[in-house]
Amino acid sequence: MKIAVLSCIHGNYEALNAVLLDLEQHKAEKIYCLGDLVGYGPYPNAVVEMIRSLDIPTCQGCWDEDIVEGLNACECSYPSLLAEQRGKLAHEWTHERIYPEVRDYLAQLPLSLREGDLCFTHGSPQNQHEYLLPEMNAFAALERVLSTGANTLFCGHTHVPYVRTLEAGSIRLRVDYKGESGEETVFTTPLRRIVNVGSVGEPRHGRPNATYVLYDTETDHVQLREVEYDYQKTCAAIIEQGLPPIFAWRLARGLEFAERADDPSHICER
Amino acid sequence: MWAILSGIEGNLTAYEAVLRDLKRQSVEIEALYILGDILGLQGPVEALLERLQSPQGGERTPQICAGFWEDQYLQMQGWGGGQPEAALSQYGSNVLMELEKRVPRSCLDWLRSLPFGFLELDCLLVHGSSVSVSDELSPQTPPWQLLDYLVRVEANFLFCGRLGQCFSVQLQNSQISSQVTTLDQPLIEQKATSSPRQIIGVGSVGRVSGLARYTLFYPTTGQIRCRTVEYAPNP
Repeated sequence: MKIAVLSCIHGNYEALNAVLLDLEQHKAEKIYCLGDLVGYGPYPNAVVEMIRSLDIPTCQGCWDEDIVEGLNACECSYPSLLAEQRGKLAHEWTHERIYPEVRDYLAQLPLSLREGDLCFTHGSPQNQHEYLLPEMNAFAALERVLSTGANTLFCGHTHVPYVRTLEAGSIRLRVDYKGESGEETVFTTPLRRIVNVGSVGEPRHGRPNATYVLYDTETDHVQLREVEYDYQKTCAAIIEQGLPPIFAWRLARGLEFAERADDPSHICER
Repeated sequence: MWAILSGIEGNLTAYEAVLRDLKRQSVEIEALYILGDILGLQGPVEALLERLQSPQGGERTPQICAGFWEDQYLQMQGWGGGQPEAALSQYGSNVLMELEKRVPRSCLDWLRSLPFGFLELDCLLVHGSSVSVSDELSPQTPPWQLLDYLVRVEANFLFCGRLGQCFSVQLQNSQISSQVTTLDQPLIEQKATSSPRQIIGVGSVGRVSGLARYTLFYPTTGQIRCRTVEYAPNP
């Protein structure tokens, strides 16, 4: 079966439509969505309505959580005061326009989904706000997959797609407990994989194209997809709707702007 | 040498027994850490709090971080943004009343000021894990999880107290291969290795009546000793 996995649509209806067309052309039989349906973009209600109408199994993203819980959910995740100001503006804009039934839908989304040996989540299995970057310590990355019990972990949140395989992991272990010194044991793990599916509506891989992933459960093949669409329509809508123009600027360039979180593995304790 | 304690749980007699044992050590105690659970169900904590804040001649001032009971008590008082559900589920519905009886309200500000833990040299000292005071690390915790807790803070030693028992898990010669594929870059292959690291359960001073356990650590050599002190409990 061919599965399409999308994430981080961020109210970009044009991009979502382009991806839905592309995955249909590639004969995807099932779609999963890893959250962040809203935020930054001009069409949060339309995006949620589309996802719901297609009955796409969806996880809750950090933006979805913030719109439900309020920004206190993780105000410490901004890399700078400027980023925080812009984030708050986008949050308020979305908060004021979102329909009550859309908020209710976002509130009931699960934090993760499972299908066979696949696990789907927004940030990491432990938190929607954690970034699983490709350069993350390999042992920490492996732990994130192992903690789910799955072989492959699909995530989003970073807006940059990648596939990371983790194999030949081993730890030598010795335990001293209750006054007795145990023998050395070796733990090994089979191949595990993290698939970051990128972002449909707010890509940060250096181009404005939407990204998502196709996965074939029979061949175990992962394909990173990049889809061109008329992103300028979304950019124009961002400005017309009164959202911060920087969101249009960075969408047009496929960049996160210049700021990055100091500690991407930070997990908000709130 | 460092003395690392946890889990006094209101048991002042046990704490006094440990302090006497420390005075008997031939090597000077350079630092005294208490990894949470000052509060607990073993006794009233008012006198203990006074004792902790007023070290007597020659004693080190203890460096104290928050533990499970401090966290649950603060949640009970409306701090921390949640309910003390962990205490309720593990110890039953009367636990909050029992805790309230033992803890003076006047110590609330002091409890709120306790840090989550200490990062000293290459050592992390916390009650639970580097993620939560409620995590109970033990020899049965999956080794990948233990390694992750150490890697998160780039520490070689993690001292914890939630289990209430002395143990040591040594993680040696860990290795893993990794390959990353992106849209634009060629395949990136990495081999990661991890230097030997260790998780140490420091025991509990007050949980078992008549038997206090704590840990001595020599930061220059990495040597660890679990100490067991027998004492006559209060009748």
